[in-house]
Amino acid sequence: MVANRYTSMAYESADEMSFGKTKHPVKAGLGLEIGAGYTIPEVNYAPRPEAGASKEKLVNEYERITTDIMQRMVQVGFPAVILETEHVQQMSNNPEWGAEVAHAQKTIMEEYHDEYGIKCALRHTIGDIRENRDFLQLRGDKYSVFMEAFEKCAENGADLLSVESMGGKEVFDYAILRNDIAGMLYGIGCLGTLDMDMIWSDIAAVAKKTGTIAAGDTDCAQANTAMFIAGGLLDKNLAHTLAIIARAISAPRSLAAYENGALGPGKDCGYENVIIKAITGMPMTQEGKTSTCAHSDVMGNLIMQCCDVWSNESVEYHGEFGGTSVQCRGESLAYDCALMNTALETGNEKVLRDMFMLSDRYRDPQGYVLAYDNAYKVGEAIVKDGDNIYLRAKNAAIECCNIVEEGVAGKLSISRFEAGALKDAKAALDALPDDMDQFMDDCLTKYQSEVKVFLPENYGF
Amino acid sequence: MLDFTEESLKKVLTRYNVALEKEMTPEEAAEELYPKDELIYPIAKAIFEGEEDDVVEGLQAAIDAGKEAITLIDDALMVGMAVVTKLYDDGVIFLPNVMMSADAMLDGIEFCKENSDTAPETKGTVVCHVAEGDVHDIGKNIVTALLRANGFDVVDLGRDCPVDEVVAAVEENKPIMVTGTALMTTTMYAFKEVNDKLVEKGLNVPFACGGGAVNQDFVAQYELGVYGEEAADAPKIADAIIAGSNIAALREAFHKH
Repeated sequence: MVANRYTSMAYESADEMSFGKTKHPVKAGLGLEIGAGYTIPEVNYAPRPEAGASKEKLVNEYERITTDIMQRMVQVGFPAVILETEHVQQMSNNPEWGAEVAHAQKTIMEEYHDEYGIKCALRHTIGDIRENRDFLQLRGDKYSVFMEAFEKCAENGADLLSVESMGGKEVFDYAILRNDIAGMLYGIGCLGTLDMDMIWSDIAAVAKKTGTIAAGDTDCAQANTAMFIAGGLLDKNLAHTLAIIARAISAPRSLAAYENGALGPGKDCGYENVIIKAITGMPMTQEGKTSTCAHSDVMGNLIMQCCDVWSNESVEYHGEFGGTSVQCRGESLAYDCALMNTALETGNEKVLRDMFMLSDRYRDPQGYVLAYDNAYKVGEAIVKDGDNIYLRAKNAAIECCNIVEEGVAGKLSISRFEAGALKDAKAALDALPDDMDQFMDDCLTKYQSEVKVFLPENYGF
Repeated sequence: MLDFTEESLKKVLTRYNVALEKEMTPEEAAEELYPKDELIYPIAKAIFEGEEDDVVEGLQAAIDAGKEAITLIDDALMVGMAVVTKLYDDGVIFLPNVMMSADAMLDGIEFCKENSDTAPETKGTVVCHVAEGDVHDIGKNIVTALLRANGFDVVDLGRDCPVDEVVAAVEENKPIMVTGTALMTTTMYAFKEVNDKLVEKGLNVPFACGGGAVNQDFVAQYELGVYGEEAADAPKIADAIIAGSNIAALREAFHKH
């Protein structure tokens, strides 16, 4: 399948966007319509460490998790929920494990749906197992197992198919620790997109064959690595201005899923999803203040602004004072959704959207660029050269720099260090060629030499 | 669209990093710390700037002037790197600067070794690995770079490292410390197996663990475990070990929660 690149925006203006409403709602699972005028909580969890010891233990763990969540949703009267199972490596390396877990979970969800009418769907996020101990192995022997994992889960109960794919990560990991903008652009924008094109046309084919939904990817492996390393305001590991450039570049990369047949909802940890929603009009899951169980961020309210599904990222299954961890997180998510849905039903969604956005707009350059009005501008920069995967990533990075500079001229304050990193990044971007072939050739030579784990054959070179 | 006034914004958030930023630029701060020796100064400065070619050029000049290549590791390269790590610890520079300086220092060490018949002495050996089943290695890569930058010899076992391979490396290399990193809750369980096998063989070496899903409560459950909240803790733990700290003392110092 040839990727159907986006060269225009789904929305006429940024102000048209809101949480809970999309141009292209998605019907999935047991009675759900996602992005059709209401928001939905999506609970995400990880088994306890010892649960991975055998298939039986793992299936049993997910049965408990699923029952706990469904029970709490019913107990507190929430009308809809999505469960996301992010595979531990055993479940994707052994597709029958993932299939059994999906079947067990869906059986429980069907029981709750039948008895109470609660609308629900099950997302399975397959682990990107395409690697061996030393190298990424994106096109090697494991590719068929990787695809089989999607198919088996889809056949056994998963409604939404996702992955956090790793294409370009070997170059990105090297580049991000060296303030290397060209390497970030090459790793995420070019290598990442090439790999996304390959896998998402195949995942979309699996979804079509099984009657499920190819939901979307996230640049967790790269942009979230940058965000995680950047950390809080006092952390000294990466300038937050560089983290947001990585995020801007990740938007055209994650967009490639939808250009190859994915329909949404995009996966929770894709903070780039607000940009993608502006371009595609498809529903998106986001995470923020309710994902502090997994990691901190600096835009916990803002990122709710245009979400259609609201997630907690991941919480280890264990007991807490208020129940099990999935019950506690699930309930918090669902109450957030109840508030958003109240705003939608009373016509106040734009007021609430703007309050979410404004409370974090100036907290950090990352949130500033992802504020929906600025995210829309990044989207416009991407679709301007939508057919060229290099130029659109470069455009996103440059627009990101421009937005931060404009913000600094107003109420956004950044440290001298962040300003210096931004200036250096802008200079590095300005020095890059406009010609994609030249950029690709230059980078191939440079990173083959500098990154010993970079294998060009992973990308068909 | 809603917006704040300057006054109302202050009631909602504070950018503490901007408010507390040091007056001095990194370059100015480094300049105050460089050694004054005219042969050593350019090497230390080149390390700070992460310029490999300038490091080698400076080393060659020092050797031409009569300095012993092997002594330049401690007397020039490590001195330059000490400037970098101090400014990183002080919050004046950020991790990428340290990584680029570490790259330059390692090139410099290789150059010194090539120009000497004697092997350099290090502060001690550390065995580093990513938990079996886990391929997320950026944290381990930061840890190894910071350890090397601080003068430790690193045996890097890479990612997805089988438990028995870690144990064998400890038997072979007699490290002062083992590090383990993991991103996922299910893979970090391998740390306990490493711990149990080391204890079983009487290899009571501190086992510093950290990473995305790893937390202090989990690491404290096993006998040799010492939790490192940040990668930058690794060289500090190693320094404490060579200063005589045992596992109990390490936990006292580094378990912050």
